[in-house]
Amino acid sequence: MTITIALPSKGRMKDDASAIFERAGIRITAVGNDRSYRGRVEGWDDVEVAFLSASEISRELGNGTVDFGVTGEDLVREGLAEADKRVELCARLGFGHADVVVAVPEIWLDVDTMADLGDVASDFRARHGRRLAIATKYWRLTQQFFSSQHGIQLYRIVESLGATEGAPASGSADIIVDITSTGSTLRANNLKVLSDGVVLRSEACFVRARKESHANDATVQRLIDAVRSAL
Amino acid sequence: MALINLPDFSGELLAEFAARKTERVDTPVIQPAEPFLDIAGEDLRRRIFMTESETGASLCLRPEFTIPVCLRHIESATGTPKRYSYLGEVFRQRREGGNEFYQAGIEDLGDINIAAADARAIGDAIGVLERVVPGKRLAVTLGDQAVFEAVVQALGLPLGWQKRLIHAFGNMSQLEALLASLVSPQFVTGLSDEIAQLIAADDEAALVAHIDATMQATGYSTNASRSPLEIARRLKEKLILSETRLDDAAFRVLEEFLSLNVPLINASAALAGFADAAGLKLGNALARFDGRVAALANAGVDLALIDYRAAFGRPLDYYTGLVFEIGVQGTSAVLAGGGRFDRLMTFLGAKERIPAVGFSLWLDRIEAERAA
Repeated sequence: MTITIALPSKGRMKDDASAIFERAGIRITAVGNDRSYRGRVEGWDDVEVAFLSASEISRELGNGTVDFGVTGEDLVREGLAEADKRVELCARLGFGHADVVVAVPEIWLDVDTMADLGDVASDFRARHGRRLAIATKYWRLTQQFFSSQHGIQLYRIVESLGATEGAPASGSADIIVDITSTGSTLRANNLKVLSDGVVLRSEACFVRARKESHANDATVQRLIDAVRSAL
Repeated sequence: MALINLPDFSGELLAEFAARKTERVDTPVIQPAEPFLDIAGEDLRRRIFMTESETGASLCLRPEFTIPVCLRHIESATGTPKRYSYLGEVFRQRREGGNEFYQAGIEDLGDINIAAADARAIGDAIGVLERVVPGKRLAVTLGDQAVFEAVVQALGLPLGWQKRLIHAFGNMSQLEALLASLVSPQFVTGLSDEIAQLIAADDEAALVAHIDATMQATGYSTNASRSPLEIARRLKEKLILSETRLDDAAFRVLEEFLSLNVPLINASAALAGFADAAGLKLGNALARFDGRVAALANAGVDLALIDYRAAFGRPLDYYTGLVFEIGVQGTSAVLAGGGRFDRLMTFLGAKERIPAVGFSLWLDRIEAERAA
């Protein structure tokens, strides 16, 4: 059976992933020319490589159309319902670090914790005639974190597909849930992360789609061992 | 539209609703999603079926009847009091059971006699269930958020804590976690010297001016979201709270209250005894509770079917007082659930405050109980 690995098709993620696979003794060559979206692995005839965008990789893993993928944990947990039932995070790869965080305007001097935010949210409607608005592209992670972990129900999500950190200043939302690696973009927009507001510490992961056919497949185990040995 | 998959006891339900002088209403299956998400919270989003209109408006398949019935009442502006009944399909993503099932129920809008209306809702729910699951002994669980509110108020807890506790009421694990956290002080750290000095000087105007100036300088609107005054007041409140902790006596009183679970006939005495022992004056809340018990007795409801559980509530901010659930004794399935939602009508846009109480019946569970 052919095993398909989905790798990021461009940028830092592609280079960092290639470097780890190289160290793992998995030499990937593009099929055809350099800009091709298919690849193969020297010496592993039953393995092929698909170069996809990071968010497509998590979706294809969820669908089981690829066997392995390198993608951010944030995309896996946001993109797939019950992610742990559908995929296995085989290894954390040590690059692509980014935290999904809850950030509020710095000037909210009285809000440092999720409990503070819960107070503000529960009063919001009475004071402002609307629910607290959260700008985010992370619908699922936000709902899980606010509702299940902190018992905060009374808020509305405003979908934001870019420049989320600008939403509070522009007035399109009150607070944000977004990804940050150094925090500099948040600071530049006068936002602060709540002390217990880290939703997820994400990094690039080597992820396996949970498929029954993997059970007795030697190549599957060899790939996992090889990647782990390179870390 | 004639439906051929209606539960076979639908006729009996409709006869009961008619005999109880309700006006049967129907609402479109496709509803604007906004009111449901706004009232019940974002968490509902993954439990309903959403779609979009061609013009981008969020729509959903009717997940329940209370909000559509109330909206319809507000739109039709027919005045109160009004007693509505409904029977139709609702659509929800559920782990167990089908995704489309029937609900029926009564919404009683605008009756200002709260005790009588509460009693009638419970009496109606019991009466209808006795008709459709005959020969089974029902068990009713009753809760009352107003009593809990009176307890935290009478304990003299800081207002910020009162709000938090009331907000968590009905979610026992959240409430327990909150109580545990209040027992230890929550220090406030990280305030700049400038802010600390303004607070130490107790100069609210200067603090508000400082916050206002900072917002202007950093490009934040001072009126689109939280205002400088709101932030300053809550900061002060939080600092006062940070120096105090929930004392052991108050903690024990709350724990004791939340553990109360007694037959309704003994509930008034149990609550009075609890209040006396704790030295709390629960005044009006107890009088209203007793009034409801009397109204239930007057309405001919068998009080022996009802238990009062003090911790029973729903953590949604439009429920205000009575909540109840009914099942068959010895089973866990909830066949009917109801309560008082005096804040809902104004949340949905009603100009004046309209008291409201109602219940809904889970027809798929009733069907299963009839077959059992």
